[in-house]
Amino acid sequence: MSSKSRNGNNRKVVAYSDLAIRNNLSVVEYCRTSMAALSGCTAGVLGLTGLYGAVFYIFAVTSLWFMILFKAGLSNWKNYFISRKALLTNGFFGQLFTYILCWTFIYGMVHVY
Amino acid sequence: MPATLFHRFVLTIGFLSLFHVAYSAAQHRSYLRLNELDFTHLPLDVIIQAFISLFVIMYGVMNVAGDFKEIKASAELENRFWETFKNVPSFYTFSHRGRFLNPSYSSYKGDDE
Repeated sequence: MSSKSRNGNNRKVVAYSDLAIRNNLSVVEYCRTSMAALSGCTAGVLGLTGLYGAVFYIFAVTSLWFMILFKAGLSNWKNYFISRKALLTNGFFGQLFTYILCWTFIYGMVHVY
Repeated sequence: MPATLFHRFVLTIGFLSLFHVAYSAAQHRSYLRLNELDFTHLPLDVIIQAFISLFVIMYGVMNVAGDFKEIKASAELENRFWETFKNVPSFYTFSHRGRFLNPSYSSYKGDDE
């Protein structure tokens, strides 16, 4: 029902469940937004300035990627996601603005005033 | 596994810890200002606590966000059987010839006539 052989070649065609993909992506999106806000708060508390903040953002995104893969299971992440690379790079610049907002706000709260 | 009380507790602890880090950083900043020292970096214990609380919060968020679903369309159909789909209660029939096989039914009929 899910997979059928094409005539001629034996390559398997896998049918994906639309609902499950959307559910997984919304869970990941939730985690990513939270991670951007929280790592921005942490960067502000630590008093990072300039490029150190950007490096910290990349570190946060990468560690979130590892945590998601670890939650899905390092060997069977293919059951839950189609592409591992898209999981890392999706919404990178979109979340960067959330990060910068929290970063500057908390930096101002803790270190300036 | 769905979100449990334990994960919400972990999340709360993480947020309290991050708030404590922010308070410590602000206090360190005012200490520097009173002693007219220059800011280079925060004390090491504050930095370590910031990182730990960030990861504790992320662990809590990832578990509260929800579970991943298997994206294969057949994933939730694999454990069902034909009997499950065949079972339609609206089409149940109880007045069929099976009642003639019941001994008490035939004796009751005989008395009536």
